[in-house]
Amino acid sequence: MTAKERVKTALEHRNPDHIPIDFGATSVTGIHCKIVEALRNHYGLEKHPVHIIEPFQMLGEIEPDLQEIIGTDCTPLFGPKNMFDIDESSVHKQTTPWGQEVLIASGIDLTPDKEGDVYIYAKGDRSYPPSAVMPSLCYFINAIERQPPIEEDQLNPEDNLEEYGPLSDDELEYYKHAVQKAAETGKAVIASFGGTGLGDVAFIPGMGVKEPKGIRSVAEWYMSTVMRKNFIQEMFEKQTDIAIENYKRLWETVGNQVDVVFTCGTDFGTQNSQFCSPETFRELWLPHYKRLNDWIHSNTSWKIFKHTCGAVVPLLPCLIEAGFDIINPVQINAKGMEPAFLKKEFGKDLTFWGGGIDTQRILPAAKPEEIRAHVWKQCEILGKDGGFVFNAVHNIQANVPIENAIALIDTLREIRNA
Amino acid sequence: MTDLENLYLAILNGNLEMAENITAEAVKEQIAPQLIIQEYMAKAMHETGKRFEAGEAFVPELLMSARAMKGALDILKPLMVGEGTKGMGKVVIGTVKGDLHDIGKNLVAFMLEGCGFDVINLGVNISSDKFVEAVKEHKAQIVCLSALLTTTMNYMKTIIQALEESGLRKQVKIMIGGAPVTEAFAAQIGADGYSENANAAVALAQRLIAG
Repeated sequence: MTAKERVKTALEHRNPDHIPIDFGATSVTGIHCKIVEALRNHYGLEKHPVHIIEPFQMLGEIEPDLQEIIGTDCTPLFGPKNMFDIDESSVHKQTTPWGQEVLIASGIDLTPDKEGDVYIYAKGDRSYPPSAVMPSLCYFINAIERQPPIEEDQLNPEDNLEEYGPLSDDELEYYKHAVQKAAETGKAVIASFGGTGLGDVAFIPGMGVKEPKGIRSVAEWYMSTVMRKNFIQEMFEKQTDIAIENYKRLWETVGNQVDVVFTCGTDFGTQNSQFCSPETFRELWLPHYKRLNDWIHSNTSWKIFKHTCGAVVPLLPCLIEAGFDIINPVQINAKGMEPAFLKKEFGKDLTFWGGGIDTQRILPAAKPEEIRAHVWKQCEILGKDGGFVFNAVHNIQANVPIENAIALIDTLREIRNA
Repeated sequence: MTDLENLYLAILNGNLEMAENITAEAVKEQIAPQLIIQEYMAKAMHETGKRFEAGEAFVPELLMSARAMKGALDILKPLMVGEGTKGMGKVVIGTVKGDLHDIGKNLVAFMLEGCGFDVINLGVNISSDKFVEAVKEHKAQIVCLSALLTTTMNYMKTIIQALEESGLRKQVKIMIGGAPVTEAFAAQIGADGYSENANAAVALAQRLIAG
């Protein structure tokens, strides 16, 4: 069974030869560059600066040599620009505040100021205030909220749509070449085309916009889901119109060389609760999600990947109704997210892409032997009869002890060979 | 005569304008600020918190109630200067160094404030030195530490150590919170308590002050 077949079989809820694995195919299933370097050193792979494939979270590229050791079955198809609307095609060598040499997009300068903070600028343009910051002692980048004063009668949903628009011919040309390269790996191709995250608070502050207008503060956005529902409805409606037009052209360009599309990373869960009721979800999100997902299912062979952290059990039936095929990261330590329950209740309708290891309490804190037992247990529960792609609960963070990451990789090898 | 029940409802429903208008009216009628806070605002925040814990309200509703409460409180605060307020206690709160998450921390701050605590909100990305300085300056009785990241939660221990080294540890109670934080972690780093949400944080602060 090829890697691609393995993933596709799991997505069809049938048993593959062994559980497929993803590390590095999306911005929510990756590994922090610090751990990528430590793994490369541990396995004696060629020493060179790790390439940052997603600078917001400082995710490192998992190159084919490391992919083989981990046993990954998926490969990414990212867009030509990053979260800061900076071109990813040109990179330069930089040193991170923690002293690691990396290759990062040329528009990003990692030199800290005298406080030890690193500032990032939308489109790399330093003539505007910074749009993001990596404070000292932090291992990734955070948005800087630039909320202009809100005048209720002047609010226009178009202001929050400045960064969304039709794909250019150049961008389509980029995807045409990039997808060929990805498909040649023989792995399942996971595309992140962007533009389809409805109300994702990672995007609301507009880190790629020089002078953001509209609702750009995360707290203001959350309150808007209660007090400015018309604004949100109109914004989602227009954003989905743009997305469907773009997806039509993307399908013509990349076709079934892509297997999975990661469309939306809006988090609906907190550690113990949700960000909205099922009723609000049905009112604000569901119609728009459903429209895009129905278009994808009616016109393409793509499976649809939805990311939402947290305790989302009350919303899972709504996400199924909206037409999502895959749920990630399956935060198994959040309230009610008990793996056996999830598999029994939702396993027929959803593929669990994640939940393979708890990244809050096990991966950074447990002993290697505990990690082994935990990973085996998760795989036995979630991997039964397909419908599971192994990944940690979200990205592997910078503080994970390397022996724990190795224990995880060793256990995955055991499971593959069992 | 202002019907202060409407202030309770305005805060509960997150209606800032209404909360401000009723409070301004009440001030004109010379109703004591402490009465307005204790009998109406604190009760509204408590009810909001209860609804949140019961899964009947969510972060957006909590933010709206907090905003309405804050608007009303801003009208009352200037009237309370030098009044010798019988506050619940002084709290210094902040998100630890390296961490910029502030929504949960702010909700805890608002809820404590709405329930009568005197809150000094230091903001995000706060070093141990700044916590020590603030405790000294404000003679705080409670320190609340927030972290959303597994990579920053250990800094809470650094702050507790700094408070110990500066001789301030015994005069303050330390409460911690944030997604990856647990009761066991609180015990492990020598904090006095943990709470999993803003409502529970108020109850914890009240217990800690009562000793």
